[in-house]
Amino acid sequence: MHEWSLALSIVQSLDKWAFQQGVEVRHVVVSVPSVSQLDVEILKEAFDMLKQDSRLAKATLEVKVRSPRYKCRSCGHEFGQEEVDAQIKALMQRYGEEYPLHLIPELAPTFIRCPKCGSHDIEAELSIKIEEVETI
Amino acid sequence: MRPLLERARENLRGRRVLAVMAGKGGVGKSAIAALLAIAKKAPLIDLDLFGMAAPKFFGVAGRLHKVGRDGIEPIEAGEVKIFSVGGIVGDRYVVLPGVSQGGVVEALLAFAKLGGAEEVVVDMPPGMGEELLTLSRVTNFTPIVVTTPSAASYRVVKHLVDYLLELGRKPATIVTNMAYIRCGDNAIYPFGRGDAVRELADRYRIPLVEVPIDPHLEEYVGQLHNYRGLVYSVVERIAKEI
Repeated sequence: MHEWSLALSIVQSLDKWAFQQGVEVRHVVVSVPSVSQLDVEILKEAFDMLKQDSRLAKATLEVKVRSPRYKCRSCGHEFGQEEVDAQIKALMQRYGEEYPLHLIPELAPTFIRCPKCGSHDIEAELSIKIEEVETI
Repeated sequence: MRPLLERARENLRGRRVLAVMAGKGGVGKSAIAALLAIAKKAPLIDLDLFGMAAPKFFGVAGRLHKVGRDGIEPIEAGEVKIFSVGGIVGDRYVVLPGVSQGGVVEALLAFAKLGGAEEVVVDMPPGMGEELLTLSRVTNFTPIVVTTPSAASYRVVKHLVDYLLELGRKPATIVTNMAYIRCGDNAIYPFGRGDAVRELADRYRIPLVEVPIDPHLEEYVGQLHNYRGLVYSVVERIAKEI
């Protein structure tokens, strides 16, 4: 369900930007971290519904799911998503539909520990970003 | 471009955001924020990511927010609608590096379903870190500064007030919490008279309100929505004046 509120955020922020620029949006590239477990098809469906009557009415949405690189600020270990997949799966099982990183991926350090030293002091780029916008 | 920041700004646009803050921890800021939300009948957004006092005060710790198509549903206790990271993670600790805190605050402010509320109460964490910077990015908030009469608290609060004035956000009021306790017809001031705080408020022409200690308040931790004692009476007055 959160895909809808995220799609609304994307449409609202770009519609406002396009109005200020005096343009219409033709194509949008959004990147989301894989830990958010967002359903890309629902996100696109929501975008297509919500873009009506806005400066994005003719726009297409491309979603890039990126696999974050993590760095432990305690021991310096750098690691990829594959090293924390087991932790993510356990978290999803524990919370079910209320999986917290679906809603706020930036909460990842609260749940994920460095696979080498066990510290929660890890950093990664976990935000949801609009990467590219093509306009008419 | 960061869509959540824009959505957070849009979500709070046209609403008066009353940010209850204190440079120092342990001054009773979360209790004042919670009672202000009751008195104002306003949603309470708990931005104390690590303390998460709001769910504990209202006895809803461990309950999770429902998430719908248009955002996060509040957790309700009595008439109070609460939004907290505690409603995302459940009854467990939150530990976050500074770089992640801003994103969490933006997300909470972006997705909180505030309905038709004209006023929103925000419970800020102690200190002047990422949460304060993020709230400043999102909205032109009205500060309510909480302190105790103690000299230890005053120095920290003075720095906070200096910063807020530099931002052009003059506090609507300074609350001296735990100012005195009634003993028969007398008032006892266990943490001093708070003269330095009063001088600070006078200097910048900020209204000052003294809130008494009410030993019975502790009995309502977990059901604060039912509390209408001494502290609430004073906070209710603040709510009418700001």
